Amino acid sequence: MKISRRDFVRTVALGGAGLVVGFNGRGIFAADAAKQFAPNGWVKIDIDGAVTLTIGKSEMGQGVRTSLAMILAEELEANWSRIKLVQASPSPVFDDLGTGGSDSVRDGWRSLRKAGAAAREMLAAAAAARWKVDRGSCAASNGAIVHTASGRRFEYGALVADAAKLSVPNNPPLKNARDYKIVGRRTPRIDGRDIVSGKAHYGIDTKIPGMLYASLERPPWIGAKQKRMEEEKAKNVRGVRNVMKTSRGIAVVADNTWATIKGRTALAVDWGEPPPDAFDSEAHFKRLELASRERGFITRKEEPPPGTAAVARTIEATYHYPFYAHAPVETMNCVADVRENRCTIWAPTQAPNRLQKQVADLLGITLDKVDVNVTLIGGGFGRRLGVDYALEAAEISRAAKVPVQLLWSRQDDMKHGHFQAASVHYLSAGFDAQGAPVAWKHTKAGSFHNISALDPKEVRDIAWYQDWSWGAYDVPYAIPAIETAYVTVDLPVKHGPWRAVFAPSSVFAREVFFDEMAHARNADPLAFRLDLLKGADIVKAGRVTIDRRRLRRVLEVVREKSGWGAPVPKGHGRGVACNAYFGHTYIAYVVDLRVNGDGHAHIERVVAAVDCGIVVNPIGVEQQIEGGIIWGISSALGGEITFRGGAAQQGSYADVAVARMRDTPAIETHIIPSNGTEPFGMGEPPVPPIVPAITNAIFAATGKRIRRLPIHPEDLA
Amino acid sequence: MAELRLTVNGAPRTLEVDDDTPLLWILRDQLGLTGTKFGCGVGVCGACTILENGKALRACQLPASEIAGRSFTTIEGLSPDVSHPCQRAWMEEEVPQCGYCQAGMIMTACGLLNEHPDPNDHLIDTVMSDSVCRCGTYPRIRKAIYRAAAEIREKKSSSP
Ligand code: FES
Ligand code: FES
Repeated sequence: MKISRRDFVRTVALGGAGLVVGFNGRGIFAADAAKQFAPNGWVKIDIDGAVTLTIGKSEMGQGVRTSLAMILAEELEANWSRIKLVQASPSPVFDDLGTGGSDSVRDGWRSLRKAGAAAREMLAAAAAARWKVDRGSCAASNGAIVHTASGRRFEYGALVADAAKLSVPNNPPLKNARDYKIVGRRTPRIDGRDIVSGKAHYGIDTKIPGMLYASLERPPWIGAKQKRMEEEKAKNVRGVRNVMKTSRGIAVVADNTWATIKGRTALAVDWGEPPPDAFDSEAHFKRLELASRERGFITRKEEPPPGTAAVARTIEATYHYPFYAHAPVETMNCVADVRENRCTIWAPTQAPNRLQKQVADLLGITLDKVDVNVTLIGGGFGRRLGVDYALEAAEISRAAKVPVQLLWSRQDDMKHGHFQAASVHYLSAGFDAQGAPVAWKHTKAGSFHNISALDPKEVRDIAWYQDWSWGAYDVPYAIPAIETAYVTVDLPVKHGPWRAVFAPSSVFAREVFFDEMAHARNADPLAFRLDLLKGADIVKAGRVTIDRRRLRRVLEVVREKSGWGAPVPKGHGRGVACNAYFGHTYIAYVVDLRVNGDGHAHIERVVAAVDCGIVVNPIGVEQQIEGGIIWGISSALGGEITFRGGAAQQGSYADVAVARMRDTPAIETHIIPSNGTEPFGMGEPPVPPIVPAITNAIFAATGKRIRRLPIHPEDLA
Repeated sequence: MAELRLTVNGAPRTLEVDDDTPLLWILRDQLGLTGTKFGCGVGVCGACTILENGKALRACQLPASEIAGRSFTTIEGLSPDVSHPCQRAWMEEEVPQCGYCQAGMIMTACGLLNEHPDPNDHLIDTVMSDSVCRCGTYPRIRKAIYRAAAEIREKKSSSP
C-alpha cells in the first residue's frame, strides 16, 4: 500500500499546530517523512503543552497504555499529568497494529524512547536558539526547558512552533538508566479513575445514532443446517425488527438488547441431530495419544557428545492437556455501520489491521473504506486476535442497512470460542549407570490453528513447527541428548492462541516430568533443576537464546524466599517449576498447598521470582504475575471444555469453573533487578510454570502424580 | 409494555418497558448508564451488581415488574467525585487490570461492608466468590476491601 504523506499530515494536523514525531520499530521521523516510514505511533505536543501519544497497542488489562506513556515521558521529560493517550486506527500509515505475544513494551522501548528524546532535543534546541545560548546550558525537566545558569524557562508549548521547523535528529542522546525518574517507579494505571467510576468505555458500551441491536444464532457444529425455526414468533416479540439469515447464522435484529435475547429464544432454532462422526473430544484424545508415539517433525535434536555414557535406565510418562476457553468477562461484541461502499467498526480487538482487512474482503471494498475504532477491551487473552465477531456484525449491518451492535451471550462466547487446543505429550528420559540424566525426549501431539480465522501460514518449516511447541523444544536443561518433536492432528473445531499461546501445555508436561526424573533419582527437585542448569550459561534453541544464569537466579530466589526445604505439615506439599519464556522473561514459582481429605487442593501461597529485564512499572509486573497465577489456577482446578456431537458441552461460568476469590492464594512477587538492556513482556510469561508447580506440590503432599488436567478431586481423595 | 417509575442514582425516572426487561438492560440501553456491565445475564458473574439501600443486587436478575418505585445506585452514582472509600481503595491498591468486572466488584464489596464493617478473610471469600474476574485481581480486591473498611471505620469514629 502506498503511503500518502498528505493523509498522514492531515490526520496528525487534525488537532491543530504542534510538534509531531512519528515512530515505528525502525526509526523516528517528522510528520512530512511519513511517506518513507509507516509509523505505528506518534507523539504530538500542542502549543498549550499537552502531550498526545497515539499508540497502536490495545489495552486489555496488561497496563500497556500506562507503561508506554511512562517510557515516552521519561525521555521527553514530560509533565506526567499532561500526557493523553489516543488509540490508533488502522490506516495506510498505521499498517502494523496488533497486540499479542507480550511484545508491546519491548517494541515501545525501542521506538518511544527515541521519539521522546528527539522531541526533547528539538525543544531544547529551539529554546537555546531563542536565548542565543548553548544547547548544553539548557536542561529539560517536567515539561519545560530551563536555562540552568539564568533560571529562565520555556514551557514546551511555547517552543513547539519553533521546534517543529527543526529536523528530527536521527540518534538523539538517550538518558542513562540511573537518571530515570519515571521508568521503574510504581505508577498508577492511567485509566484507573475511569474504571472505578464506571466511565471507562469498552466495546460493549459503544452506542451510535440510529443503532439497532443484534443477536446471532450460530450453527452448533460445523456444517449444521437449520431444520425448523419459529420466525413468526420471533418477529412477534415486541422490539424485534427483523430475522435475517446470514452466511454465519440467523440474526435477530431489534430495538434493544433484551428484545434480541427474547427474540432469539422465541426463534427456537432446531438444528436437528449432529452426524455420528461429529467432533468428540474423547475420541480426539485417543488420536492424540496414538500420535504422541509417532516420530513427528523433529523440532530440536542435540546429539550426545562422544563419551556420553550409555542409557542404563529409562522412565517415561504421558501428559494430557485439555481444551480451555478464554472466557473474558466482556463477551465478544462489535458495532458495525455498513453504508454504500463504506464501513465503520467499533470493536474491542487485539488485531485492528486483520479486522480491517477481513471486513474489507467480506464487503468487497478497499481498506481505506473501512474505519476501525479500537475500544478498551474487557479481557483479551488472545481471543480477540480472531475477528469473527466483527465479520458477523458487518454482515448483519449490511443486510439490515442500519448500524448494529452485535452482542454475544455468555453461552455464545463459551461455545463458539477459539479454544486452546488439547494436546498429549510423551516424554522419556534416560539415565546412565550412575544415575545421571543422559537423554531427553518430548513429543507433543497437538493441532495447528488450521481452521481458525487467523492468518494461515504457507510454509511449514522448522520455525513454524517450533512456534507450536514453545516450552518443549526450548527445554533449558543440560542433558546430552535431546530430541523434541511435534505431531499434527487435525482439529475440526475453532482453536487459537490462548494466554501464553502454546507454552502452557508444553511447560506443564516438561516441568512435571522433570520432577518425575528428580523423584526417580531421589533428588530434591529444586536442587536437581539448578544442577541441570549448569554448564554453558547461554544456550541456543531455534530462535530462542536462554541465559541459564537468569533461570538459576529466579530459582535461587524462590528457594530462599519460600523457605524451601523446611518441613511442611501432613497433607501439605511444596512444589517448584520454572520457565524461560521465549528466552526473554524468566520466572520460577514455589507453591505451598494443602490437599483436604475430600481430594480438594487448596493453594495457600505462591512465591514468585521474575526477571523480565528492565522493569518499566513494578505494579504492572506484580499485577501480571498475580493474574497469570490465577489464570493458571483456573486451568489446574477446572475450566475444561469438552466436545460431544461437534459442540462444546459447557456454556456458562456455572459449568466452566474459573478461579474465584476463595481459590486465591497469598502471592509474593520478587522482581529481580536485571542487568538486561530492555524490558520484556509480562502478559503471557507468568502462565506456563504455575500449573506444574501446583501439581508438583500435590505430588509432594499426596504422592499422587497429576498427568491429566484439570485436577479432579476424585484423583486425590 | 407499561410505564415504570423508579429512582436511579437519586434521580426519578419514568420509562416505557416490557415487564420482563431486566434492570441491567434498562440501565444500559435506555438510561445510558453503561458502567453496570453484562457478563452472563444469568446471575453467576456479578458484573452487573448494583446497590439498593446499601445491599448488593444483580441487575440482570431484576425484571421491570419487580422494581417499580424502588431506588438503586449504580457505579456512576456511588460518589460524585470518585471519593467513595471503595473507589479510593481500589485505586490505592491498583486493583483493576482490564477493569471490566470492577464496577460489579466494587458494588459487591460495598454491599459486604455495609453489612459487615469489619470483614475477615472468610467473609470476603464467601461473598466475593460469587463474582468473576478473569484477569485475576482477587488478591488486590481483598486488600482494597480491608483498606476501605478501615477508612470507613475511621470516618465513623471521628465523626460525632
Ligand atoms: S450479568 Fe448479572 S450476574 Fe452476570
Ligand atoms: S479486571 Fe479484567 S475481568 Fe476483572
